[in-house]
Amino acid sequence: MPSRHNRFRFRRRGKHKTLICEPGKCITLDQLPEGCRATVIQNNNLITIERGLYLGAPITMLRNNDDEPNVIIAVGDARYALDRRIARTIKVRIT
Amino acid sequence: MRNRPTIALAGNPNVGKTSLFNALTGSHQTVGNWPGVTVEHKSGICHFNNKVYEVIDLPGIYSLAGESPDELVARNYILNEKPDIIINLVDASNLERNLYLTVQLMELGAPLIMCLSMVDIAEQNGIFIDTEHLSSHLGFAVIPLILNKKFDITPILQKVEEYLSQPPVPSTIHYDEVVENHLENIRQIVLKAGLCVPEGEAFSCSEKDAASDTNDLVTKSRWLALKLIEGDKEISSLLSEEDRTLVEKERTAIAKHRGQEPAAVIADDRYAYIRGLIKDVVKRKGKRRQTFSDMVDRVVLNNIIGLPVFFIVMYLVFLIAVKLSQPCIEIINTYLGWLFVEQFGNLLTWLSVPHWLTYFLSEILGGGLVTIGSFVPPIFFIYISLSILEDSGYMARAAYIADKFMRKIGLPGKAFIPLIVGFGCTVPAIMATRTLEKPRDRVFASILTPFISCGAKLPVYTYLVMLFFPQRANIVIFGLYLFGIVMGILTGLLLKKTVFRSEPGNFVMELPAYHIPTINGIFMHTWHRLKSFLLRAGKTILLVIIVINILQLIQIPTGNRGEKTPLLELGGKLITPILQPMGIKNDNWPASVALISGLFAKEAIVGTLQGLYQNSGGKESLNYVASNIKEGFGSDASAIAYLIFILLYSPCAASLTMLFKEHGFKWMLFDFLYLTLLAWMVATLVYQILAFNTLSVVWFATIGVIFIFIYIILQSIGKKYAIKT
Repeated sequence: MPSRHNRFRFRRRGKHKTLICEPGKCITLDQLPEGCRATVIQNNNLITIERGLYLGAPITMLRNNDDEPNVIIAVGDARYALDRRIARTIKVRIT
Repeated sequence: MRNRPTIALAGNPNVGKTSLFNALTGSHQTVGNWPGVTVEHKSGICHFNNKVYEVIDLPGIYSLAGESPDELVARNYILNEKPDIIINLVDASNLERNLYLTVQLMELGAPLIMCLSMVDIAEQNGIFIDTEHLSSHLGFAVIPLILNKKFDITPILQKVEEYLSQPPVPSTIHYDEVVENHLENIRQIVLKAGLCVPEGEAFSCSEKDAASDTNDLVTKSRWLALKLIEGDKEISSLLSEEDRTLVEKERTAIAKHRGQEPAAVIADDRYAYIRGLIKDVVKRKGKRRQTFSDMVDRVVLNNIIGLPVFFIVMYLVFLIAVKLSQPCIEIINTYLGWLFVEQFGNLLTWLSVPHWLTYFLSEILGGGLVTIGSFVPPIFFIYISLSILEDSGYMARAAYIADKFMRKIGLPGKAFIPLIVGFGCTVPAIMATRTLEKPRDRVFASILTPFISCGAKLPVYTYLVMLFFPQRANIVIFGLYLFGIVMGILTGLLLKKTVFRSEPGNFVMELPAYHIPTINGIFMHTWHRLKSFLLRAGKTILLVIIVINILQLIQIPTGNRGEKTPLLELGGKLITPILQPMGIKNDNWPASVALISGLFAKEAIVGTLQGLYQNSGGKESLNYVASNIKEGFGSDASAIAYLIFILLYSPCAASLTMLFKEHGFKWMLFDFLYLTLLAWMVATLVYQILAFNTLSVVWFATIGVIFIFIYIILQSIGKKYAIKT
């Protein structure tokens, strides 16, 4: 069961949906719900690796609205707006 | 060594490089472009202990991969110019990411000093760095700084002096054992091929150098081998076909071993080194919590409040530029007019200078200086606003909010920044498009920048709108700005469907922490931009004013009875019939001439109108200029159409030159023709709607046909000249 801390609600196409962070689950970065923490497990995009999304990097999803073309993530102490198309190519494991 | 040692400043964007550069060089700075590219080049002079140093501010970059023009410029400068010392500015509040560039500089074997900026913000966030320990790991000095307070540069310059006589030796970064083996194999290929140290512009060295396996040679050959693993095309092209095959074999082996692209392997291992370093030297107090910037972003990037905040900020920029500059323009006009025209003219008359020379020096040159002076306030306030937005960190958020809309017109959100810079001047706006990764996006964004009314257009709008619509001046000016944006969006949609049909580039943008901008920083930033603008535009405006006055003086016979007409009037009258559908009557030829002078510099439109209407209509006094212009245009409809034409037609010569430099003649010509034709069509459409008559229908049909014609041409351009993405 996910902990209470890992439950986040966010708006999606006008409907309230509850997305749950399931620790250990492997998903693409664009699927990571807001507030969830994860670790990068696969990334071949050099630009994002250079910005700190290397294998094993801990990240937090700060903003992920389906109707927006970008997501906002926290990588270490930096904050990035990242294209959803790139986020789709990065695999993460929820922690 | 050169007579004057060179210090280069390198670091990520938004780490305070400019603040350090300003502190080191004071006002002794020059701004230009790097040779061959329009990436800004800032250099200055620093004096310390009776020695003179040249300080170079390299572009803010995240890596030396050479993916963007900025990265390539920084890398080539370090390789070819070999600065005596590189000061690597590192953001202490974001140490891990910043150290990635440091590691690459270390691999280059560059003589380094590290300055840790924003130490105060790091401590606020619970990050404490043991600088001594970090220095012992890296192999060079680490100096902590707080850049928003007045800081002492002596320790930095003392270290520079020390390192000039005894350069530091940076530590070597070790990769995983298998990668190290392949790296060594490639290094041997590099040495065999004679590619070791980039000398001047070539990446070759003498056989003697290659034979002596010195420490420097090991470092350089190792760096070249790393670049080959990363797949650097520039370095790879220097190898023979046979050597390239050997390198490719090694790369494939690395990829097989790690299940990743070789470039990703190298980047990952660099971060592994950095992570180890951070564990050793950084102490965190308390859990990683929400920062102040995170809290502000919850409001600024909020789904509901974010957009209104964005529009309020943009409106404030506009309001500051218009409202604050209006009284300043009046003061400048009055006092500069009194000084350069009246008093200077009186002095010349008192000195018995010939009348023609007095007229030239006081009326033409003096009047020209007054015109230039009146442009300073709006441009100054626009640059101040832009500097505050940039230095505070809001500009990146604005780009994020804008991304949603920018995508709809086929551009990434990052393209919003050059467009915002366009409010100041189109030239730096075109230059700012270099931050976009894809060539398609750079060209597309450059074509759209002229739709954003630059600071030079503001005095033209202000003058004409105050003349025709004094009661609703603010609304009309704001409406013009908005209309330009709407036309830019429509053009974006049109070009997305025809010329630029591929997808826009990916959006990866750092949202820097919010800062309270320093007054010194804002004014330095503004001053440099304003100075560069005045030097560039001022010369053009003055030249245009002189040329126009000379052309007005040259008269050629046109009638049977020996009647003479000024050359300028003749030229103006020649193009006026083309402008007739947009309400420019035949006797309003000065308006046509003003549009020609606007091609040199937009600000020259006001000067030209004033100059020509001062002489026309027989009313010589300055007080009658305004009524002469009103009489010339005849109606508000033609004034509106004229303003719209000014808003939309071809950018000035300086902007066209910049387009030519950045994207070539083809795109410069495209921008010139498309914008001028569009301006004529829209201005005609607006005039014919406002002053509707039976002939208007014919003009509507004509514009419709022209539009279809343009659409077909744009489609064929899209097919023939599609930019590779």
